Parts: sequence; structure tokens; C-alpha cells
Amino acid sequence: MIPVIGLAVGVIAGLIFQPTLPTGLQPYLPIAIVAALDAVIGALRALGERRFNDRVFVVSFISNVIIAAFMVYVGDQLGVGSQLSTGVVVVLGIRIFANAAAIRRRIFHA
Amino acid sequence: MSDPRTPEDEAKGLLEQIADTALDDDYYVVRTEPYGQSREFNTVLTGAVLGLFALLVAIAAIQTQSDRPTSERERETLINNVDARKTSLAKREITAERLRERVAELKASVDVIDPAFEKLRVLTADSGAKGPGIRLDINEGRILPNVIADRDLQRLVNGLWYAGAEAVAVNGKRIGSLSSIRMAAGIMKVNYDPVGPPYEIIALGDAESLEERFSQTVVGREWEARSKRDEVSFDMAGSDELMVEAAPKERLTILHAKAIEGDE
Repeated sequence: MIPVIGLAVGVIAGLIFQPTLPTGLQPYLPIAIVAALDAVIGALRALGERRFNDRVFVVSFISNVIIAAFMVYVGDQLGVGSQLSTGVVVVLGIRIFANAAAIRRRIFHA
Repeated sequence: MSDPRTPEDEAKGLLEQIADTALDDDYYVVRTEPYGQSREFNTVLTGAVLGLFALLVAIAAIQTQSDRPTSERERETLINNVDARKTSLAKREITAERLRERVAELKASVDVIDPAFEKLRVLTADSGAKGPGIRLDINEGRILPNVIADRDLQRLVNGLWYAGAEAVAVNGKRIGSLSSIRMAAGIMKVNYDPVGPPYEIIALGDAESLEERFSQTVVGREWEARSKRDEVSFDMAGSDELMVEAAPKERLTILHAKAIEGDE
């Protein structure tokens, strides 16, 4: 119940306060969301496999977001920002698909 | 199961490996410390992190949403600009049209209303004129060539003025106040334009009195006599509808003479 409330609170807070991200941080938001999505899908899979651990989830979520943002930052500094972002998105995308496939297999046995 | 990786993993392709280890290894670690075993999903920590995730997504969505109206606003502003300019252009065109009409009106009123000015223009050969008058057809006789000199034409025109002509033209060349008739190198020139026999002289005025009075002048009698001697051919005919053109512009331009102010 608490996670659902957390989700709802996050969405509502976003809608009510409509926080605007500083322009400097804007390039990192999409990649951070992809990284966070990876952590969330991984958590769902672990939940299905009865391996879920909230501390692992929190740590993986935060480290994913920070590392993804950091890689984009480093890429920007090196002048290969878009290429590095692509790499990050590819890796995270594969992970998201693999985890989603595992969840699907567990639910539908197919 | 503390380390799920096997030596076979190392041999796999990078992408395959990523797919195989999609789930963080930590989930597989069996923990021994008291809190380590917490596999509870329904915790505040999970809720907080999910809330953060939702917030991130919401921010991104809102930002994308708010970026769109900005470009849309720009578009709308541009469209409004274009419309405003079109409207102002149409307005100006209407104004221009009105002004053109006004100019035409004023021009027409200037032309129409001032008869005194029109009379003056006819008088100074600035405009063409029509009306009753007489027409003289003069040609050299068959006996001698070049018997008509500039002096003959000058005296003839002078005789016509005396007889009451109001506008005179020689071979279509209107005689104005700056006109000249003279012979240069055997060529007759009126208003500096060459003309040659046969000469057709038109004089506007009362046809009957013109004819009569001209016949009585010395010049008129002289021409009659010359025509009788077959030296020249000379015909005079009255008409109700004759026309003379305006004198050329360069014969109407004055540069130095100025009107005396207050002179009626």
C-alpha cells in the first residue's frame, strides 16, 4: 500500500508544484528516468521472484540515476555526450526488456 | 549463490551478458544481518523511492508539455503578426485608393472648374483647340520652284491674326507666342520643325468674317493675285469644325521672364 501511496504522492506533487528543473540539469532528466525505470522494473521482477529487498532497490535506484546522469555529464565534458547517452540507453534498455521478459514469463508461463 | 557469475559468463557477448544479468546481483545475495533479510515490499523506503520516480516522470512530462505551448505561442504570435500586417496593408491600400481618387478628383476639378485658365491655355497655344474657322491650302505653282518664302508665310499668318484668327497652325504646327517661321538652308521651319509645300494653314475664328477680312488685307489680295498668275495655288474654305494641336512643350517653356506680381 505504501509504495502505491508514494507513487500517487509523487505524481500529485509534480502536478501541484510543477517544479521546473534548472536548465543545466535538463539534459540529465530523460536519462535519469530511463535509469530509474530500469531499477523499478528490476524491483518488480525481484518481487515476482520473491527476492525483493527494499535496501537493494533503493541503492540500485539511486546509484542508477546518479551514474547515468554522471555518464551523460562526462560525455558532455568530453564532447561525446550524445554517443555516451546512446550507450547508456542501449544498456538500460536491454536490461529493461530482459527484466520485463522475465516478469512476462513468470506471469504467463510463456 | 553468493556469486551468480560463472566462467561461462565471461565468454558470452557483452549484450547477452547484459541481458542475462539484467537483475541486479544484489537481489541474489543472501544476507545475514538482521535487516538484511527484509524482503518486505510494503516499506516507507520503497514508497519514498517510488514517489521520487513518479516525481521525476511528472517533471519530465510537465516540462515537455510546457515546452510545447511555448512553441505554439510563438507560432500564434507569428500568425497574429502576419494577420495584423495584412490588415494594416489592406487599410493602407484602401487609404491609397481613397487618396488616388481624391487626387483624380482634384485634378479633374482643376481642369474643369477654371475656364479662365483654359482660355489662357488656348490663347498661349498650351492646349489644342477646335471650333469654326478657315482653312488655306497653298502650294507652289507649276512654273517656278521655291516661290514661297518664310516672309510670305509670316505675312500670311500676321494677316490672319489681323483678320481675327484666335488660333493658327501651319501644317499642324501651332503658332504660339514663342513660335517662329523661317527658312534655313532652303527648308521652311515652323517651331524649328521642317515643313514643306503644300502648306495647309488652319485659323480658328468666325469663318465668315475671317474669310472676308483676310481677303481685304494687303496680304490676302497679294496671294489672290499670285494665284491668278499661276505662281502659286491658293484656296480658302470656311469650316464649322476645325482642330489645331497644342504647341510643342519646348515652345511653351519660359526660363527668365517672370510675371509682375499684382499685375492684372
